[in-house]
Amino acid sequence: MSRASRPRPVRVLAHSSAAPRIRSELTRRGFLTVAATLGGATVLSACGGEESGSTATGTGTATPRATGGDLEDSVSIYTWGDYDSPDVLERFTSELGPTISLDSFNSNEELIAKLVAARGTSGYDIVVPTGQFIPQMIENDLLEPLNKDLIPNLEHMDENFLGRAWDPENQWSICKAWGTTGFVYDNTVITRELTTWNDFIDAAQNEASGRTSLLDDPAELTGIYFWANGIDWTTEDEADLQAAEDFLVNDMAPHIAAFDSYPGGSAIPQGTHVLMQSWNGDARIGIMESPEPERWTWVLGAPATELWMDNWCIAKGAPNIEAAHAFIDFVLHPDQVIDQVDYIGYHTGAADVEARAQEAGLEMLDLVFFTDEQVATMQEGEVNSAQQRIVDIWNRTKAAAGA
Amino acid sequence: MPRPRFLLAIPAWAWLVTFFVLPVATVVYFSFGYKPGLFGTHATDVLSLDRYREALSPTFFTTFINTLRVGILGTLICLLIAIPMAYWMAVKVSPNRRVFLLALVIVPFWTNFLVRTIGWQVILAPEGWLSGLLQSVGLRDGPLAILYTRPAVLLGVVYNYLPLMILPLFVAFDRVGPALREASKDLGADRWRTFTQVTLPMARPGIIAGVLLVFIPLMGDYITATVLGGARGNMVGQLVASQFQAAQNWALGSAMAVLLILVIAVTVLVGAAMAYLVSWPFARHRRLRLADLPPAEART
Amino acid sequence: MTDAPQDPAPTVPTGAGPRGSSGERGRAGAVELIGVTKRFGHAVAVDRLDLAIEPGEFIALLGPSGCGKTTTLRMIAGFEHPDEGEIRISGEGVRGVPPHRRHVNTVFQNYSLFPHMNVAENVAYGLHQQRTPRAEIRERVAEALDMVQMRSFADRKPAQMSGGQQQRVALARALVNKPSVLLLDEPLGALDRQLREEMQIELKLLQSRLGTTFVFVTHDQHEALSMGDRIAIMRAGRIEQLDTADEVYARPASAFVAGFVGQQNFIEGTLGADGLVHAGPVRLRSTRRTETEQVRPGRVRAAIRPEYVSLGPATAEGGPTENSVSGRLAGVAHLGETMQFVVEVPASIGTTSLVSRIPTPAAPSVRTGTTVTASWSSDSVHLFAPDRAPAGTATTDPVPS
Repeated sequence: MSRASRPRPVRVLAHSSAAPRIRSELTRRGFLTVAATLGGATVLSACGGEESGSTATGTGTATPRATGGDLEDSVSIYTWGDYDSPDVLERFTSELGPTISLDSFNSNEELIAKLVAARGTSGYDIVVPTGQFIPQMIENDLLEPLNKDLIPNLEHMDENFLGRAWDPENQWSICKAWGTTGFVYDNTVITRELTTWNDFIDAAQNEASGRTSLLDDPAELTGIYFWANGIDWTTEDEADLQAAEDFLVNDMAPHIAAFDSYPGGSAIPQGTHVLMQSWNGDARIGIMESPEPERWTWVLGAPATELWMDNWCIAKGAPNIEAAHAFIDFVLHPDQVIDQVDYIGYHTGAADVEARAQEAGLEMLDLVFFTDEQVATMQEGEVNSAQQRIVDIWNRTKAAAGA
Repeated sequence: MPRPRFLLAIPAWAWLVTFFVLPVATVVYFSFGYKPGLFGTHATDVLSLDRYREALSPTFFTTFINTLRVGILGTLICLLIAIPMAYWMAVKVSPNRRVFLLALVIVPFWTNFLVRTIGWQVILAPEGWLSGLLQSVGLRDGPLAILYTRPAVLLGVVYNYLPLMILPLFVAFDRVGPALREASKDLGADRWRTFTQVTLPMARPGIIAGVLLVFIPLMGDYITATVLGGARGNMVGQLVASQFQAAQNWALGSAMAVLLILVIAVTVLVGAAMAYLVSWPFARHRRLRLADLPPAEART
Repeated sequence: MTDAPQDPAPTVPTGAGPRGSSGERGRAGAVELIGVTKRFGHAVAVDRLDLAIEPGEFIALLGPSGCGKTTTLRMIAGFEHPDEGEIRISGEGVRGVPPHRRHVNTVFQNYSLFPHMNVAENVAYGLHQQRTPRAEIRERVAEALDMVQMRSFADRKPAQMSGGQQQRVALARALVNKPSVLLLDEPLGALDRQLREEMQIELKLLQSRLGTTFVFVTHDQHEALSMGDRIAIMRAGRIEQLDTADEVYARPASAFVAGFVGQQNFIEGTLGADGLVHAGPVRLRSTRRTETEQVRPGRVRAAIRPEYVSLGPATAEGGPTENSVSGRLAGVAHLGETMQFVVEVPASIGTTSLVSRIPTPAAPSVRTGTTVTASWSSDSVHLFAPDRAPAGTATTDPVPS
């Protein structure tokens, strides 16, 4: 679940409507999936150790290593694909010196697997995990504590997006961007108004049957059922999980045409489906690129939905720890924030960013910024004992949908 | 000093061990292990067959049937298209133009297959240009509804794997050469019988190579099918990938991968047996036993 | 696609099979080419060729590579189609008749046995195509293999046999169909000399026993002379001479034929009003009427076969001599039955050496380096008009062999 959503020039000879799709597949998931498949053997042999960090030695009150000394010559960032404005990256290098090398991952699991295998020698300085994975990463000694004295621009952040449950003191992480999950529908086909996950399910089983797509992500799938039925989507209760499975496999799967994490890439502009579960930033890009934007209606999942938050962190053993702090401080500065929002289409957690984005004339900001009431309905995910079960449900649903 | 011959075989063995035996052995070993906890991907201190039990759940079975269907149908369609095409290129086309045609067959390989497959996704989309064209010409009333259906999966699979079938078949047909076809015609066989009795049997090694080259990678591919088939393109490879990447359960993923290897092997063996059974009556029909006939002089 | 065989009883014992058995029984096995021309691009491979082959005849098409002999054969077989002219097999025009419907069979230069079939299956192939009953196939295959003494190899694959054995199988495979005409395209070319000579005899015997028309293509004059009832000597797409071996050898119709069949000493000169050929210091007199009458005074080419050239002791130096020339003996070679002598002669006669071949018992014992006189009788001198087309202009064979 990478979050980037900003169009970016890719030179491919194809029909103009193909370009966004190809770009999204290349930069976000598709290409990375291939790379991960090809790289599988390497990962396998590299991670031969059985203990795999399950014997945690994390301390939680470590002293930061960075002291504010001279910046190193470079900084290495391991993040989601296409997740930072190239202008911002360029400005950092030209103003402060260190060159940036970027590498991207496809899932938090992939990021963690790599850090676990390297045990502090990954060579990465900055990593961008999703919030719920951070406690275990701390526990497994995969992160360096931050020296907040070196990040004075923290003061420009909105307090609401600091001090989250998984890192109350922001000792290890600072919000990079956050988003949520909802759905988009074609209002020329689904003429009634949809407002909740129950409406989504009903439409999928009726007028949108066979023309509905879901996010290709295990927790987002079970989430639909839990959110619709007022169940905490981080539940570990087997009865809940079994009910979710029964519903998804039997009542939902037959109506699903595709599992697509980025309908904004082509499905919305091409009108491939009429009902698509999607992340807000991706939906925004899709609608903006559609030849008939008024045809598409965005609905924030209700009564409850997800809040995911990706965070700036520093990898254990980061070779360029001073430059890494400097970079995090740099991107938090108000001068860079609007460029970042404009490029990725998600809220960065900076204070007053909404007003400034409006000032800057960015489009469709209702898909980027949400009211406090809306935010109150969003809940973060959790990595817990249900993880394997949820992946199984996901696989079974996909198998049922393909049968 | 004569050196032992096995020295020459060392690079081949080293290759085989490094790139085949070791990885597969690792996967087989992992498949007997388990996922130790949230953060562990696999552990092998206790070995069991439990992962196989898990892997053989109804989910896996359904997806397996789907994968086999795509694999077998895709291979057969590739074969049916490649045979006339390769034959035409090897037999009917002048050698100068042949090079050009071979280049055309290979050219798509110069682009990432994902890009090409997504290209098809764009072409087949309900609001894509093909759909628009068909509607404006009047061949269709509504938008094209082929994307995310099984025919779309087969189309993508055939498109991506066809060159792998054409090339070995072309080489095989080319090697038969014109002389034997002429001999066959000279002996009273028309074009069709020459093809079925001489060209095709002699191209058998190429056909086998092509079928294996297409079928085996096709069984492991899930990207082509997913991009064009959506939910209908669910493949076993996807299940394996989800265990390795999303669930971080390498033990279960390995068990699924091993089962996939076994199923491919069994399918290939069954296919070979069926091909043998089909050809057996023909071979029997052709066989002549002359030993019991008296020599010509004795019969006057 | 094959039309059903017209004749429901394909077991015609000899000669024409079902397809050849049209009304004209007597012409079964005859092959006629009338004004046949075949071009490959701009190259003319066969040029207005006329050829009439009698039923049961063994005809050899002889010529250098590129002379059009293989193309001619392939046109009879149906693999090539004439641009002009007509081909008749057993009295019927075959324009548009594909190879598999012509009642001719071919023995190919490279044998072209089917490598995926064993010997018996190879031989049975043609009979299977005609849907011959199984029992009959078995008998006829056995018979054909007995004919070429290959019965014991019936279960072998072609790759497990020598070239000679494959050749015999190829022959059996063609003959088992009882074709009206058997076409042989340099079938012995790949065999070693001894085997080739054995096969020549066998082929000839087989042909006279079966009475099948054989059209045999070769570039080997010995092969052609030893086997052909008649020999067609081809050059640049045309037949230079069509005659029996004796006639072709004794009375070549052109300098080309004279040179291609057997060996010749060629002397260039001018035919004078006196009836003598003036070639440097040498005067040649020819008493052969047939060819000489067609030669007009002017530049001519005289041909004398080495076996008609005798050697004697050197005569005194003097004026022009008639039908003899003196020179240094440059070399002696023992060829078995004959001895070959090479005499250096003045270049002004159009050649630098003269070859004499004398049966070994009668050969004089002369040492290399001594001066000798070579002489010949006037009835051994053939005169030819200057060549209509120099031998070097023959196009190379465009047909891959």
